[in-house]
Amino acid sequence: MKRFECLKILASALDPSALMVANVGPISREWNALRPSDANLLQVNLGLCAAVGMGLAISLPHRQVVILDGDGNLLLNLASLADMANQELKNVVHIVLDNEAYEGGGGLRSATAGKANLALIAEGAGIKNVHVATGLDFFEKAAREALQSAGHHFVVAKVEKGSVPELPTLTLDGKEAKYRFARYIERTEGKQILKPRYTHI
Amino acid sequence: MKLQPRAVEEVLQGLKKAGVDFVSLLPDSDFSELQERVGNDLDFTCVPVSNEAIGVGACAGAWLSGKKPALLVPTSGLLVATWPLTSLCMAWGLPLLLLIPYRGDIGDAFWLMGPYKDTTEPLLRVLHIPFVTVAKTEEISKAIIDAQGSTISWQRPVAVLLTGETIK
Repeated sequence: MKRFECLKILASALDPSALMVANVGPISREWNALRPSDANLLQVNLGLCAAVGMGLAISLPHRQVVILDGDGNLLLNLASLADMANQELKNVVHIVLDNEAYEGGGGLRSATAGKANLALIAEGAGIKNVHVATGLDFFEKAAREALQSAGHHFVVAKVEKGSVPELPTLTLDGKEAKYRFARYIERTEGKQILKPRYTHI
Repeated sequence: MKLQPRAVEEVLQGLKKAGVDFVSLLPDSDFSELQERVGNDLDFTCVPVSNEAIGVGACAGAWLSGKKPALLVPTSGLLVATWPLTSLCMAWGLPLLLLIPYRGDIGDAFWLMGPYKDTTEPLLRVLHIPFVTVAKTEEISKAIIDAQGSTISWQRPVAVLLTGETIK
């Protein structure tokens, strides 16, 4: 199963208002090619996608938050699964595109190429809606069901290594991405985030 | 050592006056009473985490959602938090109020805390995190309010270190 094919399915199923957090590396580049949007928070660094997604999901419980993680990315901070589970979130779809490698870092094997099983770890952390997809049909079914029902869903997609050539380069750095995302939230939530009037100084 | 009862009140008052409404924390003996009060106070969304790096990430997501977050973090946990303080807060320019009981400051008799005198202030400087050190209880609230104003204006973390009579 190819990662880009999974992302195509996800892009076709996703509500345009859904907030997306994706980890740095090919995942962000591929997702940006499929759904460029200010609702994307791309290139979040290793181990932090789940934590950032948790902060978004807790703070905006009426918005759907999708986390696009990699296996190496999630492995760095597995405890975030336990912390998320304890929040009993109703608005999170956490998708791990597990290619069993640190593809963005040169392709060396990750722990899931050995004995680690992220689905079992997620269940052990207390997440109830856990699925493992090894084929596109099942991935589409699991992703669509997760996107259409409230809860905290965790989907592991076992994908091949390798990205798609000739995708557009990501041109935003973190600072510009921050402003775009925050302005998007301001527009869609009717609140001021950047430079609010501060009465104490 | 613990944050003293009057200091707990001052911190709570300062956080509320500063508009902080999202607090992430890892259970810590120095802050235990404060953490319990924050957890039971409906003015705060309290998010316990299993390591401080997750706390920084959660606060980043909260700020991008329109919340005003603070991280209660001990001097040891600051070391754990350095990765996201660098790769999120520094790289993206994200504000965050850090509230730090200054274990390892001069006067802390526990030998295991000694290294944090060497790490805490240099680490904050390296991470470009301005900080204020508060030794008097009556100065806590204003320091928190000022630090919150600065973190919002400057779009980078600002820290309040609590020492002296505030923590014994």
